[in-house]
Amino acid sequence: MAAQLPDMAATLTPDAQQPLPSLVSSRRLKWQKTARALRLWVPAGFLLLLLFLCFVWPYIYSIPPGNSGSILDASEPPFSPGHWLGTDPNGVDLFSMLVYGGQVSFEISLAVTAFGAIVGGTIGLTAGYFGGWTDSVLSRIVDVLIAFPALVLVLAVAEVLQPSETHLIWALSFFSVPVFARITRGSVLTIRTLPFITAARLTGTSNRKIIFKHVLPNVLPSVVTFSLLGIGLIVILEGAVDFLGLGIQIPQPSWGAMIAKGQNVLTAEPQYVLIPSIVLLIFVMSLNLLGDALRERWGVR
Amino acid sequence: MSPVVSTDNALLEVEDLRVAFAVGGREVRAVDGVTYKVEAGRTLAIIGESGSGKTVGCRAIMGLLPTGTEISGSARLRGTELIGLSDGQLRKHRGSEMAMVFQDPARSLNPTMRVGKQITEAITTHRKVSKSDARDQAIELLRLVRIPAPERRFHEYPHQLSGGMRQRVVIAMALACRPKLLIADEATTALDVTTQAQIMELLLELQQELDMALIFISHDLGLAASYADEVVVMYAGKIVEQAPAKRLFGAGGTVKMRYTRALLDAIPHLERPAHTDLPVVTGRPPDPTMLPVGCSFAPRCPSAADDCTAKAPALTEHAPGHRWACWHPCENGGTA
Amino acid sequence: MTAPVNNTAPADDQAPAGYTGDARTGKKPLLSARDLVQEFIAREAGGARGGVVQAVSGVSFDIMPGETLGIVGETGSGKSTLARAVLQAPRPKSGSVVFRDMELTRLHGRALLHARRDMQFVWQDPFGSLDPKWQVRSIVEEPLAAHSVGTRASRHKRAEELLDLVGLDPARYAKRHPREMSGGQAQRVAIARAVALEPSLLICDEAVSSLDVLIQAQVLNLFERLRRELNLSYLFIAHDLALVKQVSDRVAVMYLGKFCEVGPGESVYRQPLHPYTKALLDSIPSTEPGAARTTATLRGEPPSPVNPPSGCRFRTRCPRAADRCASEVPEPRELAPGHLVACHFPLTGPAPAESAATVVSGTGVSAPGVSGMPSTAKVQG
Repeated sequence: MAAQLPDMAATLTPDAQQPLPSLVSSRRLKWQKTARALRLWVPAGFLLLLLFLCFVWPYIYSIPPGNSGSILDASEPPFSPGHWLGTDPNGVDLFSMLVYGGQVSFEISLAVTAFGAIVGGTIGLTAGYFGGWTDSVLSRIVDVLIAFPALVLVLAVAEVLQPSETHLIWALSFFSVPVFARITRGSVLTIRTLPFITAARLTGTSNRKIIFKHVLPNVLPSVVTFSLLGIGLIVILEGAVDFLGLGIQIPQPSWGAMIAKGQNVLTAEPQYVLIPSIVLLIFVMSLNLLGDALRERWGVR
Repeated sequence: MSPVVSTDNALLEVEDLRVAFAVGGREVRAVDGVTYKVEAGRTLAIIGESGSGKTVGCRAIMGLLPTGTEISGSARLRGTELIGLSDGQLRKHRGSEMAMVFQDPARSLNPTMRVGKQITEAITTHRKVSKSDARDQAIELLRLVRIPAPERRFHEYPHQLSGGMRQRVVIAMALACRPKLLIADEATTALDVTTQAQIMELLLELQQELDMALIFISHDLGLAASYADEVVVMYAGKIVEQAPAKRLFGAGGTVKMRYTRALLDAIPHLERPAHTDLPVVTGRPPDPTMLPVGCSFAPRCPSAADDCTAKAPALTEHAPGHRWACWHPCENGGTA
Repeated sequence: MTAPVNNTAPADDQAPAGYTGDARTGKKPLLSARDLVQEFIAREAGGARGGVVQAVSGVSFDIMPGETLGIVGETGSGKSTLARAVLQAPRPKSGSVVFRDMELTRLHGRALLHARRDMQFVWQDPFGSLDPKWQVRSIVEEPLAAHSVGTRASRHKRAEELLDLVGLDPARYAKRHPREMSGGQAQRVAIARAVALEPSLLICDEAVSSLDVLIQAQVLNLFERLRRELNLSYLFIAHDLALVKQVSDRVAVMYLGKFCEVGPGESVYRQPLHPYTKALLDSIPSTEPGAARTTATLRGEPPSPVNPPSGCRFRTRCPRAADRCASEVPEPRELAPGHLVACHFPLTGPAPAESAATVVSGTGVSAPGVSGMPSTAKVQG
């Protein structure tokens, strides 16, 4: 029952309150949701499209070869029949060059990043978790590797061994392994201070289990988002190496070599530089934006 | 305490203040219609748990909320409307008319800058004074907040000071231009209880000396009881009870809201024997994105009835100076 | 005042009389800590090595089975370090910790793990102590899995029982992740995990300090219920004296690495013997407005833990300090049944005579804020 109100100042019975109307417009709320989804799926979509074009398209639809062409088709402009991006001065189809060059770029960057993540990640994980002498020794090794100028090493490889896809992968891994080791170690150090790791140790969980079940799942988000960034970096690095003529050799196509060759005719026929540059840009930007969106979702700092 | 002042003398008048954010596609109603007044020279305590909107409300008045926050309602400081002012316009008022002190003194101070320099910066932002005048004023301020050996402290870095001293420095910075209103947001929560007592004493003394109005925000009802003239209790973005401290606490206190009663009962009291169960209210505060239609406390309230969930009671002055929003308030101060 | 002979102390034990709590004849302490010392290297801003901080300087206490010992102290008192030292995580620099007749400081690896099985810990930050990637059920099961208790199915079942025990509906919460829960619920999960192995001692380090008042009360009631149902002993650490008194049988007040006062909760509250305890009690804001608000009787700032004051560490802030306090470290003495205090001038007697004009100088203290302030004589007791 309602309480007896003191009959002093209460001349009004307390009004019933209707819930107050929304302050934030529903349009704004809906936009926030869509914007968040877009931030993830637009770059992911572009990446998937590029992957599809490079790895699936050539096998379901025959395209001209990327490393040879007839002189009869030389220097066709874009949107010519049979060559929708045109051809280069040797008659090689531009689109095919992009596709096959893209295959190589993807393969190299994926391999280098995967190698770096696995080997470098293991080093970083071990150093960060066990600390002490293990950490000191491993960190010094990593420091030495990082100090090594990657490009110089690649030059050396080009000089001594014949430049090939495999050799390029080895050379670039010299660069990716220590970087991943550093990143992982930093991440593990942060996680290690959290009480739940101490709790697991006090509970009696074995070190092995702690590393695989506690540390790794918590380190993975930052490693994955960094990997995406890393792939982009390696692609650019590989492109630079090809540009210098030290990487993938012609006639095997690559984006970097395409840009290099197109330099000479930049003013007259800019499409030879522009087209591969734009594709490279889209690829790296999509990787970075996807990395940002994932970071946002996974709460990686 | 200053004598009873007519409400025309209100320094700060807040009316139907509402603050909402868009988070993850949903509207968070942080403050849902709050009205109160503070008079010069008086102390108001805003009490609430986390999520009650106590901090957000005061930050809205100071203009410290991120862009994109929807704010409506009115907050008049000496007649000047603050809501809706641009950041540039508000900056003129901040520091010179109103100032805020926050919870963690370590975060409020720049660790790479000497303490004295930070105070002089606060001074010169609002007044054109020479460097040596600013320095003298800063040392006076350090003296005002009872820091011993202020000339020496002037040159020290924040990490060389203890927590209590740092908070005094932050207070000194806030008072640099003699504001008429000081808002202390959980200013003593991060401090030890002995230091807390010292800082609260200091704030009250300064209030007397500088004739300031003081609003302090806390979750600690004990602080409100010991140091405030007027108490406002907030829950889920609304004010649920408001009364002079003397009316609410102590023997003969008439607490009307179940929520306030629950807060008082849930605090461990020294007089209570050990190993007794504390009277508890089950459940948690409502999700600010899904506030219920009726009274927000009804799902947890021991005396909730059908009318409570159907319609939300308005905050009404049922007794002189004592406002509450409840269909079934406590009897006899609620001591059951 | 000579300490009465306490016949509950085991014959070969050198425990100071009174530490074995109330007269529970014949019972041995569940946990017995003697002269614990823990140090760590203080880092200056920027990471450079500062001095060595002795966070715990010779602390001794006993906990009887079924008893709750509360330790209250402010920042820098060393209470959390003490808790970790008892756990051997990290090991104390010196001292002994005997838990169920096992000397923990001399055990390693497997043996230590086995010995510590009956001693569990609850942290202050409920979310930090739970792996955000794990499901609640797995979190609660982890201790069972680590000690290979039962089969996977029986562990699942036990986890659900435990969740039920702490008031979380297993059907709703077993598959959730910590971030989907509130602070109070997450702390309940941490407690469920802590009691999974049916420990005899639970160490709670500020376990409710980060919770809202109403939730805090719920969790405290949970602790109380578990105490009754599982016959748990607690080492309960907090900075809130009222909170500690509420849950404890005996209360220890800690200042700068040492116990100032230990005794039954009621006794410490009604008759505080140490000036610091009195200051703590006076500083607590009460919900009685207009009640004569005792002005803060504590002066100055906490001294630097790197260079604590000589003699009694509290003397630089004590209104009753005298010369003797600077030269002699006060030893704990039993002044009331089960109630010990380490003070040269406890509050049962008069303050030292020359207090009015004594200047307490901070000898050798490189402490912020402690300058030679004259003691304003506030005669206590």
